[in-house]
Amino acid sequence: MAKILNDNAIGIRRRNRKVLIVGLLFTSPWIIGFFIFQLYPILASFYYSLTEYNLFSPPKWVGLGNYRKLFHDDKFYLSMYNTLYITIVGVVPHMAYALAMALLLNAKVKGQSLYRTIYFLPTLVPAVASSLLWMWLLNSQYGLINMGLHYIGIAGPNWLVDPDWTKPSLILMGFWGTGTITVMYLAALQDVPKMYYEAAEIDGASKWRQFWVITFPSISPMTLFQLIMMLIASFQYFTEGLVFAEATQSTGGPENSLLFYSIYLYQQAFSFLNMGYASAMAWMLFVVVMICALVIFRTSARWVYYGGDK
Amino acid sequence: MAKFRKKPLALLGSSVLVLSVLAGCGSNDNNEGSAGASAAGASPSASSAADASAKPKDKVEISFWTTYTDADAGPITAIVDNFNKSQDHITVKMLGNQDPTKQLTAISGGAAPDVLLTYWNNIGPWADAGAVRDLTDDISKSGFDVSSIIPAAMDRMMINDKYYAMPFTMSMASSLMYNKADFAAAGLTKPPETLEELSDYAKKLTKKDSSGNITQIGFIPDYPWIDNVFWPVIFGGSWIDSNGKLTPNAEPNVKAIAYQRSFYEEFGQSQIDKFKSGMGKRGTAQDPLLTGQMAMMVGWEYNFMPERAADGPIGVAPFPYPADHPELKGSGMVSPRAVFIPAKAKHPEEAWAFMQYLMTTDTQVQYSLDAHVIPTIKDALSDDRLYVDSNKTMADFYESAKSENLNGFPNSSYINEYLQSLSEETEKALKGTESPQEAMDKVAEKIQPLADGK
Repeated sequence: MAKILNDNAIGIRRRNRKVLIVGLLFTSPWIIGFFIFQLYPILASFYYSLTEYNLFSPPKWVGLGNYRKLFHDDKFYLSMYNTLYITIVGVVPHMAYALAMALLLNAKVKGQSLYRTIYFLPTLVPAVASSLLWMWLLNSQYGLINMGLHYIGIAGPNWLVDPDWTKPSLILMGFWGTGTITVMYLAALQDVPKMYYEAAEIDGASKWRQFWVITFPSISPMTLFQLIMMLIASFQYFTEGLVFAEATQSTGGPENSLLFYSIYLYQQAFSFLNMGYASAMAWMLFVVVMICALVIFRTSARWVYYGGDK
Repeated sequence: MAKFRKKPLALLGSSVLVLSVLAGCGSNDNNEGSAGASAAGASPSASSAADASAKPKDKVEISFWTTYTDADAGPITAIVDNFNKSQDHITVKMLGNQDPTKQLTAISGGAAPDVLLTYWNNIGPWADAGAVRDLTDDISKSGFDVSSIIPAAMDRMMINDKYYAMPFTMSMASSLMYNKADFAAAGLTKPPETLEELSDYAKKLTKKDSSGNITQIGFIPDYPWIDNVFWPVIFGGSWIDSNGKLTPNAEPNVKAIAYQRSFYEEFGQSQIDKFKSGMGKRGTAQDPLLTGQMAMMVGWEYNFMPERAADGPIGVAPFPYPADHPELKGSGMVSPRAVFIPAKAKHPEEAWAFMQYLMTTDTQVQYSLDAHVIPTIKDALSDDRLYVDSNKTMADFYESAKSENLNGFPNSSYINEYLQSLSEETEKALKGTESPQEAMDKVAEKIQPLADGK
C-alpha cells in the first residue's frame, strides 16, 4: 500500500516536471526576450546611472554623483514640473471626458455604432500626424480654434508660442485622442448589471444619483486601471511635445515650456552623450512613478469596489 | 488587484527600455579589450576571405552613410559612381537617410560604416568620446594640404587642436534677402548697408492696421529660428579665447543680442509673436518673404534659389555690418557638412582615400554644380566651370564665400550643451526677462565648468 502511494507520488512529480519543462519551452521566447531585452538593460541602466558614460569610453564609476547632480539641475526640476503639469492638469479631465463620452455612446440611440466609430477614429491617427494637424487648428492667426473663439468675442491666445499656453494646447489636443479610454469605459459600463438600475428606478432615484451610486462604483476598477495607465503614459510624454516644440525650431519649445522629462532625458543621452546621467534620470522617473502608483493603490481601497468583495 | 500591481512595473520597465538600447551598445565597449583583440585576430583571415572572394582585382568595399534623403541623393550618388569608376581598388557603397541617432548607434556598435557624412556639430562630442578617427596621421602621410580648404569650414572640424573630419560642403548665412515689391512700395531703391540702416528699413517696411495689429513686418531677427551663432558673427563676437575661457558675454556678443532685442522693443513682443505664428510655411508658395508679409530676412545660399534670379521677386545683398565696424563687412556664418571615419571602421585607409577624392577641386566643382551648394575648397570657388548660366543664382554666394570674415562656432565635446544654453538664454533676453548681459553671463557660468572638465 505504502509502496504504491510512493510510486504514484514519484509519477506525479515526474509528470509535473515534464509539464513544467514543456511549459517553459513554450514560454521560452518570451522568457529569453525578457531577460535579454528587458531585465538585463534595466539592471545595466542602473549600473550606468552610477557612472559617467558616453557610449564609447568605458564607464567611469561616480557612485551617486549623477543623482546628486540631478538635484542641482534647474532643467531637471523644470522638466519634472512640465511633466507633472501635463499629468495633473491633463489626466483627470481626459478621463472625465472619456467617461462622459462613454455614457453618451452607451445610450440607446439609433446609429450608435456609427457614432462610436466616428468617435474612435482620431485614436488611429499617429501622434505625429495628429500633432501637425492640431498645430494648424491652434494657429493663433488663422487656426479654426481662435476663429471660433473670435466669433464668441474672445481673443484667442497665442497657443503654440506663448509659454503659458503651450501645455494647455497639448492637453486640449489630448481630448481628441481619448477614444481608447472611452472604449474601455464603454465595455465596463455594459458590464454593470441592469437590475441595479431597475431597483433604483423603483426607489425613485434620479439619473444623477444612479450614476454616482451605481455606475461610478461599478466601474471603479476600470477607473483605477485607466488612472494608472494614463499616469504612466503621461510621465513618459514625448512625441507630441517634441513635434510642438519643433514648430518654434527648438527642443524645448518656447522658454522650455515643452521640455518634458523624457525629452530632456533624450537630449542628455543622445545630444550631450551623458548616458550615465540619462540613466539616473530614468531611475528617478521610475521612483516618482512608483510612488505615485503606490499612493493611488493605497487610497484605492476607499473608492474602488470589486463585485466579489462587496 | 495583484494584476494591476504588476502593470506599472512592466510598463516602467519599458520606460527604462530606452536605456536598454544604450546598455546593449555599451556592452561592446565593456569588452573592448577582448573584442578588440579578437577582431584584430580575426582581421587577417577576414581580409584574406575578402581577397578570396574578389581575387582578380583585390577590391575593397567600403560603406558610406549620408543624411541625404532619396530625393536629395542624386548629386552625391553621381560622385560615388564617378569614384567607383575612377579606380579599381575601392568600391563605395552608399546608404542614405541615416540621421544622427542612427549614425550614433552604428558607430558605437560593432559594425560601423567606413565613412559617414553628418552635421558638423556631432563631430565634437563623438570625437571627444573616442568614436571618430583622428585624421592627423592620414593628413600628414598623404600630404593633404589643409590650407586648400576655406578656414572657416576647416576650423569646424577641429576638436582639441586636432582634425577629425573634412568639410564636404558648407552652408552659409551671410546675406540679406528681401522682397523687391515691398521695397518698391516703400520707395526704397537699394538694400541697407549697415545694421543701423537695417533698423530704419524695418520701420519703414512694417505696417499696422487700425487696431495696432501688424499686417506686414520689415524684419524679424530671430526668424526662422533664434540664431545664437549668426548674430555674434555679424558683430565680430567670439565664444572662447586662447586661454580656454568662454566668452559668450564678450561685448560684441552682448551687443548682438541687444540689437535683436531692439526689434521687439520697437514692434512689440506679443504683436510680433502673433504675426509670426500666422506667417506661411517657409520654403512654400506661402513663404512670408515671397508673399511680402515679411520684407527682409537672413538669407542662406539654399533660400529662394529660382526666385532670387535677377528678374525674380527676391533680392539678395550682403548682410549689413555695424556702422562703427566697417572692417566686419562681409561677415557670415559657416555651417559645414562633415565627412568622418569612425574609430571602429574596418577600412580606414580606403575611407581616407575616398575622403580625399571628395575634397578634390574637380569633385567639389561637380557637386556644387549638381547640388547648388558652396564648395569648401578655395580653388573651386574661382573655378570657371561654376560660373555658368544654369548656376547663376549661386555666383554671389561663391564670391562671398571668399570673404575673410566668415566664422562659425568652435567645435568641442560640449558644443551641444553650449549651443543649447545660448539658445535658452538668448530667448530670455529677446523676450526681455533678462538683460542681454545677464543672460550671457549665465551661459558663461553654466558652461565654463564643462569646458574646464573636458
